[in-house]
Amino acid sequence: MHLEVGCTLRRDKCFTMGATVAGFMALMALVGPFVVPFDPQDMSFQPFARPSWAHPLGVNDGGQDILSELVHAVRNSLGFGALVGGLGLMLGVGVGLTAAWLGGLVGRLLMSCADVFMAIPSVMILILVAALFQPSAAVLAMVLVGLSWPTTAKAVRAQALALRSGLHVRAAAQMGASAWYVISRHLVPEMFPLYLIGFVAKARMAVFMEASLAFLGLFDPGRKSLGGMIQYALKYYYMDTWWNWLAPAVFCLSASIVAAGLLAISLEKVLDPRLRSLWG
Amino acid sequence: MGLSIKGLTVSFLTGGHLVRAVDGVSLEIRNGSCLALVGESGSGKTTIGIACMGLLPSNAILDGIMELDGTPLDYSVQETARKIRWRRISMVFQSGAASLNPVKPVLDQVAEPMAVTLGSGWKEARRVAARAMELMGLGPDLHQRFPHELSGGQAQRVLLAMATILDPQVMILDEPTANLDVVTKAFVGELIGEAKKRGKALLLVGHDLDFVVRWADEVAVMYLGQTMEFLPAGRLLTSPWHPYSWALVRSYPSMRCNRDLGGIRGDALQRVTHQHGRNNPSAYFHSHDQAHGVGGGTSHAPEAGCLFWPRCTQALGACREGSVELTMQGNFGVRCLRGGVVELLRLKEVSKRYGETQALHPTDLGVRAGEVLCLVGETGSGKTTLAMIAAGVLRPDGGARLLDGRDMDETLQEDRAALARQVGIVYQDPASSVSHRFTVEEILAEPMKIHRAFPQEGIRDGVEDLLRKVHLPWDERFMALYPHELSQGTMQRVCLARALALRPKLLVADEPTSSLDPSAQAKVIRLLMELQIEEGLTLLFVTHDIGLARKIGDRLAVMLAGRIVELGPAATLLALPLHPYTQMLIRRAEDDVQERPMGQGSASPQGCAFAPRCKWAEERCLLESPPNLHLEDGDRTVRCFRFFDKGSESSMPRDSSGDLRGKVGNWS
Amino acid sequence: MGREANFRFSPKGKGLGSILTFASALFVLVCLSYVLPRLMPGDFVTAMFASSHVTLSANQESEARAYFQREEGFGEYLLRLARLDWGRSYALFQPVSSLILQALPWTLMLAVGAHLLASVCGFMIGVEAAWRRGTRVEKGLVGLMTMLEGVPEMAVGALLLAIFALQLHWLPTAGAQTPYVELSLWERLADTARHLALPMATLVISYLPGNFLLARNSMVMVLGEEFILTARAKGLPDRRVRYAHAARNALLPVVTRFGLRLAFMVTGVVVVETIFSYPGLGTLLFNAIRSRDLPLIQGVVLFSSGAVLSVNLALELVYSRIDPRTRHAP
Repeated sequence: MHLEVGCTLRRDKCFTMGATVAGFMALMALVGPFVVPFDPQDMSFQPFARPSWAHPLGVNDGGQDILSELVHAVRNSLGFGALVGGLGLMLGVGVGLTAAWLGGLVGRLLMSCADVFMAIPSVMILILVAALFQPSAAVLAMVLVGLSWPTTAKAVRAQALALRSGLHVRAAAQMGASAWYVISRHLVPEMFPLYLIGFVAKARMAVFMEASLAFLGLFDPGRKSLGGMIQYALKYYYMDTWWNWLAPAVFCLSASIVAAGLLAISLEKVLDPRLRSLWG
Repeated sequence: MGLSIKGLTVSFLTGGHLVRAVDGVSLEIRNGSCLALVGESGSGKTTIGIACMGLLPSNAILDGIMELDGTPLDYSVQETARKIRWRRISMVFQSGAASLNPVKPVLDQVAEPMAVTLGSGWKEARRVAARAMELMGLGPDLHQRFPHELSGGQAQRVLLAMATILDPQVMILDEPTANLDVVTKAFVGELIGEAKKRGKALLLVGHDLDFVVRWADEVAVMYLGQTMEFLPAGRLLTSPWHPYSWALVRSYPSMRCNRDLGGIRGDALQRVTHQHGRNNPSAYFHSHDQAHGVGGGTSHAPEAGCLFWPRCTQALGACREGSVELTMQGNFGVRCLRGGVVELLRLKEVSKRYGETQALHPTDLGVRAGEVLCLVGETGSGKTTLAMIAAGVLRPDGGARLLDGRDMDETLQEDRAALARQVGIVYQDPASSVSHRFTVEEILAEPMKIHRAFPQEGIRDGVEDLLRKVHLPWDERFMALYPHELSQGTMQRVCLARALALRPKLLVADEPTSSLDPSAQAKVIRLLMELQIEEGLTLLFVTHDIGLARKIGDRLAVMLAGRIVELGPAATLLALPLHPYTQMLIRRAEDDVQERPMGQGSASPQGCAFAPRCKWAEERCLLESPPNLHLEDGDRTVRCFRFFDKGSESSMPRDSSGDLRGKVGNWS
Repeated sequence: MGREANFRFSPKGKGLGSILTFASALFVLVCLSYVLPRLMPGDFVTAMFASSHVTLSANQESEARAYFQREEGFGEYLLRLARLDWGRSYALFQPVSSLILQALPWTLMLAVGAHLLASVCGFMIGVEAAWRRGTRVEKGLVGLMTMLEGVPEMAVGALLLAIFALQLHWLPTAGAQTPYVELSLWERLADTARHLALPMATLVISYLPGNFLLARNSMVMVLGEEFILTARAKGLPDRRVRYAHAARNALLPVVTRFGLRLAFMVTGVVVVETIFSYPGLGTLLFNAIRSRDLPLIQGVVLFSSGAVLSVNLALELVYSRIDPRTRHAP
């Protein structure tokens, strides 16, 4: 089944486009910081210098090389996204499985909690927390994880409930397998599509949130972020820097989010047969 | 006049493939009559209905003419299309509530065609709709409901009310009785009857054969987009001609049919063309399930020839080539190179005498390809004799035997072995029909060795195959067992496998389960039935148990004292047995009551053997043996004087073989 | 901005369940707003003045402390909130409630207008696109909208600002009205509209694609249903089938998401107001964050969250009116 999925994915244009861009951005995030010539915090260059061979994107208002800044910002933003995506997924899967397996009052209670959390606008809580505590990015990521698990939890619970009544699960249970065994060997591997889609969707949302929060100045100013770059670039628009300072940041941010979106669509297309007819 | 469809061909273009759903279908639905289209899914019957409404999707390619009362139906222009749809032709869809808009009250939906299409205004339309709904048995309290609040039957009535509101000339009903309760079904049927009386033309699409037979006038049997057979509705369940129609009827659970469902061998197929080139796409068919080859060993569907041949029980080489046309004869039509179901075996006036006793009086019998014919009778009735004569084992004193058109005696003279390859026999006592010295493997290999049909290496595989077919283990250990180490039931299965080793066309089974205990009996019978379908065998089954015959037979022949006293389709024969002996057998099987002692009694050899025990016996019954009477409405024969009209015999019409043709008079 | 995998959104249960959910959510928020400040390391006052360039003397500190910090229980807190007494802004020395009320009309105009425009236009275009499914126009539109959906508002806003205001000087760069001028009513309206144009355009461009895709997908699924075939068979004109039957049913999932999408828009509104210095709640919040004006931050957060939750709740109750299948849901 995985092979077949792999083949179909490769043929899908959405996927190739999304994967290429996402791959490029990931490469930038992982390798970039080792490759760029300057330390982004290094403020020794001439502010607002025009792009040149030494500084391909010029220098910002604080005397820092924009290209180095950009690469580090991409790493931070994508890292934030990946962190939230991964942890949020795990939390969502954990809650969903628990709700499905234990069922009854506990299950209903957990789902009601999920409903409540889904109703709360997460950005507001993030702003509140960020303003009050000025925590590090990692802590904010944790808060976001704590707010974004409900969608995955509900989907996982629904799927797990359906799987649980399937024959191979009942057979294993009848053979005397413990709950842990059944869950880890029978349920968890079956929901692979949900994980992929959940991760990509969450990561995308997290990148977006991070950019917005950085734009609003809620992160530590020393931390490089695409949102922060955009904010500063806008502030100094009259210095005619929008081509070399604003545009690259905007482009990188948009490209990341669009790529994640394309990946999510093609994954859904391939893994959820109901939706195949929509995009075909 | 009515709705007339000529040469309709519909193909769908999906993802580079061309799927042909309807192929050159011509139908005529006259005003005041109802035509039914039956067939499996994929036969194209629903597509025809949709094509008549002009509702084919945009990837459909349509060819052919559709005319209503002489004027062609033109759906290409929106304006004219809207004038035809619903006003002149309407359709009742099959999905019940799913065919209705979930957010509007049903009254509005019924009124909508009148209000919008006709432009009458909503108030008037609602009034008319309310009345239409009441006619359908939906009271005013249901009018404002939403579709999800109605039961299946109620939703269907809403659809009916909606279809009739503009009083169209033609109505198409697509599976109108699927998922309906009996009361609503009857209601729909009566509606059809009413409509016919008022001169409407109705097209009924469905697989509820009981319903179709009751309410339709004519039936067209469709397979893969072609009409395979065309016949009056009344004949569908009793005597269809095309092998497919027959197989379909056999697969259908009906109150009239007692035999267990058989299914149709092979899988449903689809006509798909891959477009290799623009000009001449080579057509080939895809089976949904290519892993299991259809009986004949092919895993791809045919490129040419009759569409049905991979699943047909009587396909010839010629069936695989060329194309087969629908030959019409008055009200009947059949698309078969062999003109419909053929007779595999025909016995003419065969008889056998053993010393003083006439074991078998001159008897005629025809066994059709693919059917199960049961010979039922008590000991000494001559059934085994007849069966052995039919198998070619016993030579009759007189008469002729034709197997697949060739004279059996000729075949026996020229090449004995050839006959053995065509007929397989399963005997009553499994233990004695095999040598005790042989192992299972040797028993099964024997026919293959005798006929040198398989190369040495292939024999072991052949044996394994056979064991698999009869659901027995095919490992070394089992194959090395001796008969005395097996149970009776298992042994009989081995014998069955042996009988099938050479792929015979005809299987003769002589009381194969009488010496088995009940559970083994049931298993063997089930296996036999399964193989009969899958291998496309014709089965001549001998038994004394009319209850068993009822479960497995398509046709029954009741024998008494060396004569066939009654013959007919199992369903009708058991529902309405004509011959007093048959009646007695059934009564005895049902009530287990001993009426009179068995045996010939004091019958004179000249008269009817049952006369001494018969309550309707007259003088002449004791004096002469009644001739075999063919009854008009079906292929039943009965040998009893009761069914003659009062009047002299000489005035009775005779058919070509000299038998008398009689009417079914008042008998009860 | 996440996309859920399931477009067939099943309607929620009875109104009571929804009310409880939203009430609980609001309650959680209120609790958080009470508890979190008390969890801060150090003092409320220290935090407020920590990033400013002012150092307080001990006297001033204790005065400020007395002024800003009140030891109150949760119950008192709730009552205070209910009385609309949300504290005083530190930086602006006005009651938080009045600041909010001043900024509210501008935000309402912007957010509500943008949301309505994006929803209605998105829906209409989506319906039309789905009807023409398979044509190049539709495919192009779907592709374009998919790409566009990923571009965040700050990017769009920055671009629009740069092009239309800074380079071309067609539209103003900041504010909601031109200050310090005397204008007649019509001129004032026109002036407001000119200032509103770019922020609203940004929001609409950012949120229309999502609505479009939702509407288009919903419509495509409805068009595949049986009852559409019935409607066409009844001889109804295409237009009626398209709108009264198909679009009407396609509307249901869109309406369900209406409230959710409003919640997403909150982030966008804050960002966009900041970019265009539009004097609504967003800018208020942004400035409050910059000056660490904690009472104001808290007030705006509570108010806007409460507003979004109420709108969602109202929508839940409306939904049952338009989809009869949910009225008698078990």
